Amino acid sequence: MQAKAKLYPKEAARLLREKPGVREAVTGATLHFEEGRKKAYGEIDAEALRERAKRVKDHLLTHLDHYLELAEKRLRENGVQVHWAEDPLDAHRILREVAVRHGVKRAVKAKSMLTEELGVNPLLESLGVEVFETDLGEYLIQLLGEPPSHIVGPAIHLALSDIQRLFHQRFGTPLDAPPEALAAVARKVLRDAFLTAELGISGANFLVAETGTLVLMENEGNIRLSTSLPKVHVAFVGIEKLLPRLADLALFLPLTARAATGQRLSTYVSLIQGPAKEGEEGPEEVHVVLVDHGRTALLHDPEAWEVLRCLRCGACLNACPVFRQTGGHPYGYVYSGPIGAVLDPGLLGLEEAYPLPYASTLCGACYEACPVKIPIPKLLLTWRHRAVERGLAPTWEKGAMRVFQMVMENPALYRLFSKALRGLPLPQHLLPLLRAWTEGRGPLKPSPRPFHELWKELEEEDGR
Amino acid sequence: MDARTRILSRIGHTLKERPKALLPEHPHSPPSANPLDLFLKRLAENGAEGHLLEEERARELIWELSQGHPGATYGRGVPASFRLLPQLPPEEAPLGVSWALFAVAETGTVALSSEDGRKAQLLPPVHLVLVEEGRIYPSLLEALLDLKALPSALGLHSGPSKSADIGQVMVKGVHGPGRLVVAVLQGSW
Repeated sequence: MQAKAKLYPKEAARLLREKPGVREAVTGATLHFEEGRKKAYGEIDAEALRERAKRVKDHLLTHLDHYLELAEKRLRENGVQVHWAEDPLDAHRILREVAVRHGVKRAVKAKSMLTEELGVNPLLESLGVEVFETDLGEYLIQLLGEPPSHIVGPAIHLALSDIQRLFHQRFGTPLDAPPEALAAVARKVLRDAFLTAELGISGANFLVAETGTLVLMENEGNIRLSTSLPKVHVAFVGIEKLLPRLADLALFLPLTARAATGQRLSTYVSLIQGPAKEGEEGPEEVHVVLVDHGRTALLHDPEAWEVLRCLRCGACLNACPVFRQTGGHPYGYVYSGPIGAVLDPGLLGLEEAYPLPYASTLCGACYEACPVKIPIPKLLLTWRHRAVERGLAPTWEKGAMRVFQMVMENPALYRLFSKALRGLPLPQHLLPLLRAWTEGRGPLKPSPRPFHELWKELEEEDGR
Repeated sequence: MDARTRILSRIGHTLKERPKALLPEHPHSPPSANPLDLFLKRLAENGAEGHLLEEERARELIWELSQGHPGATYGRGVPASFRLLPQLPPEEAPLGVSWALFAVAETGTVALSSEDGRKAQLLPPVHLVLVEEGRIYPSLLEALLDLKALPSALGLHSGPSKSADIGQVMVKGVHGPGRLVVAVLQGSW
């Protein structure tokens, strides 16, 4: 995927202006997810389980080379073909070779953020392979030619009416067709694809090193079908996705499901050991591609590496008041929301992802939601600090901050400035610093009386 | 140098300097009184139907589920005594019947082995799972710790196929079965 993270402020403003419905759809969906998570966390000792999960992941990441070699060994013993990819080019070469060797004409895909990173769909299409996204939400946005807008709910920015219009145009369904009828149409198209595709492509939620088990979580059954019916299955797995032991799944499967959708466990979990045995239904070949694509560089970063604990549950997106306004598209890369704001600079380089660490109010809700306790607010500040150090922040910001500091440190100056600001009808269109702010919001209205006066009054009232 | 060597050597180089984190032990499972009751409760909460049945009643349930249909599709492990209807290809069968490897109470889950077959578990609109009462584990941890060998693909099913991707409205039976019925079989098999 072409990264457009640099355009974040412009794209966010444009989306709010041109597609006001997105804010409503995303807010509704994320609040619903968030409510589910809170309820699900409330049923368990969430604090203890998050701490435990963090520790397991930290152990894994500080012994990553050992576990990668163990996983590779176990996968091979299970009859899985293991490949390593440093970057999208490696991944493309591996996938092209498999697709060509099997004469693949059709592929069915499970939802996978890593394949978005790698640009798997455009590659397959260039080889003349018809690709079907099989997650219902992912299928919708594939029909629209859009990227996913949320790690777990790729189509949450769409309202029912958007989908009704889309299906009316594509499949001739009535404009007021209910969700069940629309789902039935998609089911029919995709069922045919499942039964005729030669290749199934997936990501992985986890790869268990001890047993070489590929683990996939879902609710629809499309992943189970994509990895069961075609004769070849290729799974792209980020090298950070490993877990040490099979029984660790007893911690991570429910914790991820609770964080993501508020469920005790996803409806379907697939534990895949390898190709089908003699006389069994299932793929004849299973390939696992272990993908780096910036992860070893992130691991090397003494401050930012903690982000590699991420389980891609999307809980931080749902908790984020900034994400709620626009959904994921303006972030301009595969990973949006708070996790995108700290993961994208690591994967793309800060220069490419510069404004994303600023796309947050630092309210801390993302940290509270995170099942593996990634200190997202702290990492946002780390990346902001680096942006200033590397001269990425605009020069006016530095000057403005210096003035701000001077004013804040000098009570007399502070009083003078606040008085001046209060008295004026602000010529906002003339203030370049405020233009971006005022474009999307009402005019700034300074309080008629300063805070320190109000405070003093309150204190006096209390004293009486 | 190939990609594998480069990736592993970069990681090795990085981790030489890094303090190592310890791997926590698995927690102790809390003692559980009656996994069956919890299992049936959780199944219902997941939108599935669960029943504790004697063999004869389980056969009646199959008749009820298959009423008016010409046949069903069966997992390999389903005993002959439960194959009451003619076998249909899973692509056409209105009912799939499977034999579960085990079940998990705390999550309301049945575990289905690829050795039993996968199409019967996924393609028909109604899925009946038979599981022995003695194969219900209280927790997922106990079940996983007890797993000696994994089949080529193990499926944990905790309810009917569902999605809320269309306008946040929950729709059942999106790709897999819209109805999951679990018959817990009394006695030993």
